[in-house]
Amino acid sequence: MLEETLILFRNIRNPDYDKSLKGYKKAGGLKALKQALEMQPDEIVQLTKDSGLRGRGGAGFPTGLKWSFMAKDTGKPTYLVCNADESEPGTCKDRELMLHDPHQFLEGMMISCLAIGCRHGYIYVRGEYWPSIKSLNAALQELYDDGILGKKLLGKGPKLDLTVHPGAGAYICGEETALLDSIEGKRGHPRVKPPFPAVSGFNACPTTVNNVETLTCLPFIVNEGAEAFKAFGPENNAGPHLISLSGHVNKPGVYEVRLDANLKDIIYDFGGGIPNGKQLKGVIPGGASSSVLTADEIDVTYSFDALAQAGTMMGSAAIMVFDEDTDVVKLLHRIVRFFSHESCGQCTPCREGTHWARMIIRDFLNGNGNEHKLKRLHRVGGNMMGTTVCALGDACGMPIQSFTTKFADEFRDVQALAA
Amino acid sequence: MPVFHLDGQPVEFEPGEKVLSAALRAGVEVPHYCFHPGLSVVATCRMCLVDVVDMGNGRPMPKLQTSCSMDAVEGMKVETKNTKTLEAREDVMEFLLINHPLDCPICDQSGECVLQDYSFEHGTGKSEMEYAKRVYGWRDVGTFVALERNRCIHCTRCDRFTREVTGTNEFGMYNRGHELTVDTYADRPMTNKFQGNMADICPVGAITDKEFRFKRRVWRLKKTPSICTGCSTGCNVTIEYDKNEVFRLKPRENPAVNRWWMCDEGRLSYHVMNERENRIMKPRGRVQGELQPISFEQAYQALAERIAALNPGVGGALVLTDTNASNEALFMLRKLAQDGLGAEQVFCPMPDWQQPDSDFFIDSLITTDKTSNRAGARELGLTGVADTAELKTTLETNPRVVIVLGNPFEHATELREKISKTQLIVAISPLFNGWTELADVVLPGQLHSEQDATYTNKQRRVQRTHIAVQAPRQTRPEWQILAELLLALDKDAGLDSADAVLQALGQAVPTFEGLSLSRFSEAGVLLPGEANDPGRSVVDTRTAAA
Amino acid sequence: MLALDTQKEIAQLLSRYPIKRNALLPILHVVQKGNEGYLTPELLEEVAGICEVSQTHVEGVISFYTMYKLEKPGKFHLQVCTCVPCCLVGGEELLEHVEQQLDTHAGHTADDGVFSVEEVECLGACSYAPAVIINEDYHEQMNPEKLDRLMDELRTQGQAHA
Ligand SMILES: Cc1cc2nc3c(=O)[nH]c(=O)nc-3n(C[C@H](O)[C@H](O)[C@H](O)COP(=O)(O)O)c2cc1C
Ligand code: SF4
Ligand code: SF4
Ligand code: SF4
Ligand code: FES
Ligand code: FES
Repeated sequence: MLEETLILFRNIRNPDYDKSLKGYKKAGGLKALKQALEMQPDEIVQLTKDSGLRGRGGAGFPTGLKWSFMAKDTGKPTYLVCNADESEPGTCKDRELMLHDPHQFLEGMMISCLAIGCRHGYIYVRGEYWPSIKSLNAALQELYDDGILGKKLLGKGPKLDLTVHPGAGAYICGEETALLDSIEGKRGHPRVKPPFPAVSGFNACPTTVNNVETLTCLPFIVNEGAEAFKAFGPENNAGPHLISLSGHVNKPGVYEVRLDANLKDIIYDFGGGIPNGKQLKGVIPGGASSSVLTADEIDVTYSFDALAQAGTMMGSAAIMVFDEDTDVVKLLHRIVRFFSHESCGQCTPCREGTHWARMIIRDFLNGNGNEHKLKRLHRVGGNMMGTTVCALGDACGMPIQSFTTKFADEFRDVQALAA
Repeated sequence: MPVFHLDGQPVEFEPGEKVLSAALRAGVEVPHYCFHPGLSVVATCRMCLVDVVDMGNGRPMPKLQTSCSMDAVEGMKVETKNTKTLEAREDVMEFLLINHPLDCPICDQSGECVLQDYSFEHGTGKSEMEYAKRVYGWRDVGTFVALERNRCIHCTRCDRFTREVTGTNEFGMYNRGHELTVDTYADRPMTNKFQGNMADICPVGAITDKEFRFKRRVWRLKKTPSICTGCSTGCNVTIEYDKNEVFRLKPRENPAVNRWWMCDEGRLSYHVMNERENRIMKPRGRVQGELQPISFEQAYQALAERIAALNPGVGGALVLTDTNASNEALFMLRKLAQDGLGAEQVFCPMPDWQQPDSDFFIDSLITTDKTSNRAGARELGLTGVADTAELKTTLETNPRVVIVLGNPFEHATELREKISKTQLIVAISPLFNGWTELADVVLPGQLHSEQDATYTNKQRRVQRTHIAVQAPRQTRPEWQILAELLLALDKDAGLDSADAVLQALGQAVPTFEGLSLSRFSEAGVLLPGEANDPGRSVVDTRTAAA
Repeated sequence: MLALDTQKEIAQLLSRYPIKRNALLPILHVVQKGNEGYLTPELLEEVAGICEVSQTHVEGVISFYTMYKLEKPGKFHLQVCTCVPCCLVGGEELLEHVEQQLDTHAGHTADDGVFSVEEVECLGACSYAPAVIINEDYHEQMNPEKLDRLMDELRTQGQAHA
């Protein structure tokens, strides 16, 4: 029986935990921050590199390495912007941290600000998350009142301010450069890279964008050391991971796992299997943009590398399970509808392709599909991939291509039914 | 200069230059829509994708790259025509065309539409989408341009134009995804003075010049490089005409003068080039109080006789010109005044003028000096008159002969009143004006679109025009009329072409030394030395617009 | 003119950013909230002035994000999620149910002005699907019965306030 690893969720899983600053301190909080204050920024960066921490926002980029890219001595301020836009369908892990243990996350953010020399950090929270915004603002107020944040961090460190910035309803603002445009007060259009944010980010200053969960790993890493963190997962897949389990499982929820768990065990042990004694049809393993796995493909280690090998990805670690009765054509329609609704529209292939694909799938739903359209759908999906400014084109292309390949017969059935 | 390889050919590049710019400079056409050298790089149309088979370090880029945003690197190898790029381009074209009305036969842009061009080359030429296309209506969006959004390919050049070039922010992007669109704010029409440029930079027929709409199929138009004479900036333009009728002016790139732009008023100045009603078609002489058609020869002969009889000399002749005449005409006028009439000075209006200054370069184009050659007149040492009162002492000598070139002191009715009593008035001009009404002899000149001539702009840059359209048969370039008058007065200067006049000017005025029409840069020639125009003042027209 | 409270809040927001434009999104939220949940052209103009941007810019921004409204929503604005995980466990049926109950369609305000309904993409509560947001609060693992009860309560509350 697979069990949860309780690192980030240590407090959250404690029914008596008091999430206020007082409660957090009582649970041993802020020790890491005090220690980090004694360290040189470079030491924190090195420690993070050593820990093998990879970004939890979707791309899995090594966090310490990303920090080391920050342009130095530019004479401009440096920024850390936390990505709390959490909008990838299936994903709802960051909000658990923000709602139920805001101080652990904020401690991680403060440590990270020290690492990259940031004096004013921003937390970009998706606009719909008012409860999380309120929770963070209340926690920040406590930190200011306690003299932890402000002119001198913890009363002796450098100046540090943190500000919560609400988004306003746009998935694309989770893409880090669109997020920067958005926080600058513009439409959220992903930028052409280079320049990368580490050189020219928020208001054209050197900036790092990190996910909430990524930053929340920092207190543990500083307290327990790089090796301890590494131990929670196979080589190159360090640390525990929050997964959001949803769809046709008996016990949906957010769980913390080691990165050597098996996907099947996650679904059956944590998820408690498929409701109503139904058979599993497939799993979308890493958010709506990951390639779908069929029921026979789920015996795979749930880690960055193993999933990549299986032709899909861990993405934002959102696992969506669907049973034998699910209409996959409709499912794909929902996925593509999402991406076409969320495309910023600047790139030709994504603006036109997401909409076109949606129209073709709708034909299938209306009984107007045919073999030619199935091929075209597959091709339209492919043509969006690798040809756009940001990865949303790929994010829409991957499910299209995997569904039309792995479930091609179901598209044909829809035709047959209609005929 | 460092070198990279484009389709196997070495291409030099400036450090920091993008692959696309370098390619275009080397004459390799890489299809592109959103890139424009005068605007920021957004790399969103995805048309300019190329295959970087070697980044200069022996390794390829895994994905195709947009050449408009990719820095050229020493030793890099780029393929623009291999199967991978051609296929990707076709795919992008397919995406662009699924929502395009493909109404080329009724579209104004037809013939100069980049979509049309590329779709013949890179696509199937037809649109595959059987679903409802986006539909928006045709709409006036400005004083100068109209918008047909059905044809828009969302390159955002227009949006970037009003943000980055004019700073007027009248155009913007609205909505997102498939509903992304460009439009003016709150349906308000634009008021910026440079809208025509938006029609130029719109790669398809979505923004069109209302003036030009449906008048002519563009492939019929012939093109001749020229300059705008609407103000002292002298924006470089191309005159586009068919059957001797001018249809429009388009800006011609000159980084030192107007970059890629021109103003709308300048664009409208083509109307004058087609002027017939007010055009002087033949020389005229006053016979019993009435202006009657005569021949040039009759005119010259009569003038030679009258001038000899009046024997003007110093104080007896008054020579006036506007500052729209070419350098050549002004030089010959000076010659006529000095050698033919014995007058010491040539007078021209030189009111104070203002050079706008702002954070946006384009604002600096429109000066308050609406003449094309003030700087030339200053180089030639003509006597500038800021206020006609300054002419009072000159008029006290009661000149017997007055020669007027063009339409100087247009609104000085009192001056004209006084001069009207003069025994002999000669007016040289392509168009009728207040002076031609008074004149005893009217000699028809030519417009700058009809001559080979040079003008000196506010920067003291000498720029040339070419013969684009043919002038009416019985008109002559002003320099020639003046040369012929000198001949009639037995003072032949021996100058029988515009080029000969320019070269003679170069000998007489050192700053013009060495200039010749036969080897004249289309970018113009900056005269040596300082401008020092005391009438010039700089005004800050606008601090940064939000 | 903006209410004094709103102005204070705006001043506070502006103090958190290097340049005024940066505060545009939060300011729009505050102004919208202070105006019964929607924005008017006059308000946009005012915000443009505050953030030192053009009106075109503000209009471009509000048309990009889904949360800014130009029409007055109901006193209680329901966002019903029908994205993938919610759809798998009954989000669509929930939306249909609400539409039927209120005899209106997503995107419209019901006649009595108390409720308005919007069909939305993923709200980030997928493990607790189906999810509905009413004004600023999340209501999770919803079903038609639970939602009916909730709406009844709100209706009484709404009428009591009116
Ligand atoms: C279309 C798109 C949407 C994204 N959405 C999110 C998101 O909601 N939250 C997030 O943390 N990262 C998101 N990302 C990933 C970010 O671009 C970025 O990689 C991440 O925030 C970096 O943080 P990390 O290194 O800590 O993972 C998204 C990326 C793309 C292309
Ligand atoms: S891929 Fe789509 S979402 Fe990303 S920048 Fe291009 S159009 Fe926008
Ligand atoms: S109107 Fe023309 S310039 Fe503007 S976005 Fe559309 S195609 Fe480009
Ligand atoms: S700025 Fe002056 S020279 Fe240039 S186009 Fe306008 S009127 Fe002509
Ligand atoms: S020209 Fe390069 S992407 Fe448009
Ligand atoms: S799909 Fe409804 S909350 Fe994510």
